[in-house]
Amino acid sequence: MATKGGKGIYIAALLLFLGGVGYLIASGVTNDSVYFLNVGEALATEPAKLKQARLFGNVAAEGIERMQPGPGVNFILLDKENPGQSLRVSYRGAVPDTFKAGAEVIVEGGMGAAPTAAGEGTVFTASTLITKCPSKYEKQNRG
Amino acid sequence: MQMTAYIVMLFALLGTLFLGGWTGVAFLTGREERLKFSEYGHLAITGLVCAASGILLWALVTKNYAFYSVFSHVDSTLEFAYTLTAFWAGSEGSLLFWELSMALCVGIFVFTPGYKELPQRTRAYFWLVFFVVQAFFLLMLTCWVNPFVQAVPTPPDGKGMNPLLRNPGMIFHPPLLLLGYAGFVIPGCAAIAAALSGDGSQWIRSTRNFTILSWIFLTSGIILGGWWSYMELGWGGYWAWDPVENASLIPWCTGTAFLHTAIVGSRRNALARSNMLLMALTFVLCVFGTYLVRSGVVESLHAFGEGGVARPLLSFILFLTAVSVVSVLQCKLTDQRSLGGLISREGFLVIAAWTLIALGFVVGLGTMWPVISKTWSSKPMGLDAHFYNRVCLPLFALLVLLFSACPWLGWKEGVRDKRGLMAAGAAFLIAAGVFVAMGYTLPLALVGAAGGVACMTTAVLAVGLLPDARGRKSLGSYAVHLGLGLMALGVAFSGPYQVGVERDVHPGETFEVGGYTVKLNELHEKSSASMARLIAELEVSKNGKVIGTVVPERRLYRGYEQPFAEVAVLPGLGDEIFAVLLGLTEDGGASVKVNVNPLVNWIWIGGILLSFAPFLVLRYGRGKGKE
Repeated sequence: MATKGGKGIYIAALLLFLGGVGYLIASGVTNDSVYFLNVGEALATEPAKLKQARLFGNVAAEGIERMQPGPGVNFILLDKENPGQSLRVSYRGAVPDTFKAGAEVIVEGGMGAAPTAAGEGTVFTASTLITKCPSKYEKQNRG
Repeated sequence: MQMTAYIVMLFALLGTLFLGGWTGVAFLTGREERLKFSEYGHLAITGLVCAASGILLWALVTKNYAFYSVFSHVDSTLEFAYTLTAFWAGSEGSLLFWELSMALCVGIFVFTPGYKELPQRTRAYFWLVFFVVQAFFLLMLTCWVNPFVQAVPTPPDGKGMNPLLRNPGMIFHPPLLLLGYAGFVIPGCAAIAAALSGDGSQWIRSTRNFTILSWIFLTSGIILGGWWSYMELGWGGYWAWDPVENASLIPWCTGTAFLHTAIVGSRRNALARSNMLLMALTFVLCVFGTYLVRSGVVESLHAFGEGGVARPLLSFILFLTAVSVVSVLQCKLTDQRSLGGLISREGFLVIAAWTLIALGFVVGLGTMWPVISKTWSSKPMGLDAHFYNRVCLPLFALLVLLFSACPWLGWKEGVRDKRGLMAAGAAFLIAAGVFVAMGYTLPLALVGAAGGVACMTTAVLAVGLLPDARGRKSLGSYAVHLGLGLMALGVAFSGPYQVGVERDVHPGETFEVGGYTVKLNELHEKSSASMARLIAELEVSKNGKVIGTVVPERRLYRGYEQPFAEVAVLPGLGDEIFAVLLGLTEDGGASVKVNVNPLVNWIWIGGILLSFAPFLVLRYGRGKGKE
């Protein structure tokens, strides 16, 4: 669409631009990609690989302990499909209002940083805890 | 009632299919005067969709729990305003609202001078494409996401609306976003129609107002969503790069890119095919946004559950993309001009569009990464907020810098106003120097913030120095970019320089956060019929001088077992103190979170400019006005 010389410079600029964006994306993907896993998948992965991961699951009815001094909470995360598979999670920070037994949550953190006082297996130490917005009931209704 | 509404929707679907066929036949047989019937037909369909929506609205107003969608989101204690918002609280209602907005927008478009200026052939193709889109939406509403399902037996009371949604944000944020999505159907269908009929740029002028209005709705919806999440949901951040937030940002990026290339298109008669493709894809991406929210394809904080609609939606997206690409590829235009040099206003508009498209691509890539990574990894990988910040923020900074220079360049080549360019450059350097001296040395934030200052300098100076910048439309566009500069400044400071503390305190105790001293004065309870409230009074002082009190609350609403935080702020144009009461401790203290957010309010001020200034850019009356 551009004149001959003009077109050349646009193509050169576009290549330069794409190179820059490509570099940014490549460095982002290498440095910032983490596993997005359900509890079952996380249990099947070597803990060494899970230094940084985001896990999805439901909060178990048993085993919710508020940290003292707070804020923070220890709880058991259950696999959404297969509640038999579970993982202890230790989270320090503000606990969302909608956190409760049965809530669907997303935790970010790493595996095996610290054993709990209870001394049970590996613990997932979470730096963020997010409960799914409960506004939309659809899932529960259909489930 | 449900049955009546459902039958009305079925008739709308059948009518749309019939009109699609009618338009096709009229077109193939060369009897394009019959298009009048398509227009009237569409108005009739709009009437049907309005009637069905009216029935749902009436069911909400009368709290008729025989409607499953009313039962799911309303209860007897819900205030009237929030009862109405239940229209779009669910997956079904929000889709109906989208279809209603789409039908109404097109119904209005028919009466605009822009529509009448479209060449006959383009109009015919427009109706064909639009009827296909509308038929698909009506098909979804009658098959997979029916808002008129009956609850049997009729429940005595509803489930009620989640307290997080009982907020003014709920009144405006979802409908604005949906109106934005729906409004893009007009330029989107017109772009495909123009590609099919070989119309170079008339469609851009004809749909200009609708493009800008849709952009206004989408932009203000996104900004309001950020404010809601910051202020009311107590998440403390305005943007979390959650898939659902990203879903609205992707079409915003391509739509904004289009606004820039469209200027080159309608002013210089260039980039015609790029414009068509960009706008068609913007509409496709709006549909993709709703796919992300409804399909469960990626995990999100606030998505609807999967409702069986994923597969049809995805098929429709692929179909519409294919139609867009093929129609643009086959489009042959003869009267196209070439672009000017790269260092020109045209050149910079093109680079700005590349940057925006790249942003949309990056956000889309990040959002879909868990799905994409499955192609080589047995376990899905995702990208966290660091990825977006690392990749997107430099691109946003580039945008701000591009605008700082762009108005000072000539249309075809070179610099037209050296004073302005030098002033913008000087503003950048001085601002950067001042910020470094103040201790703000993070490179990206520094470039972003100084770029923001340069951008504002350009926006203000251009109006003073450039003779062509004083018309209403130019003023509007400079005001939008002034807003952009303010937002850049706000994000560059409030993002990396936010300081926060989460702490258990007892009445009388103090703690430090970001140079402020916070003291818990008092902790008390109040209760009313609808809720019980726990209230903390936090006194904030700096250098021994009290600057104010923040009063965050925790509320326990009737019918909800878990409490909700009511955030409190001590607003300021410099630092804003943001406080959340997390809960009580066992020994009678309070668990609180206090953040110091520097310059965060400039984001909202910039956002208001970004949302309202484009009204100045609209074309009023019948005048042909330039871009």
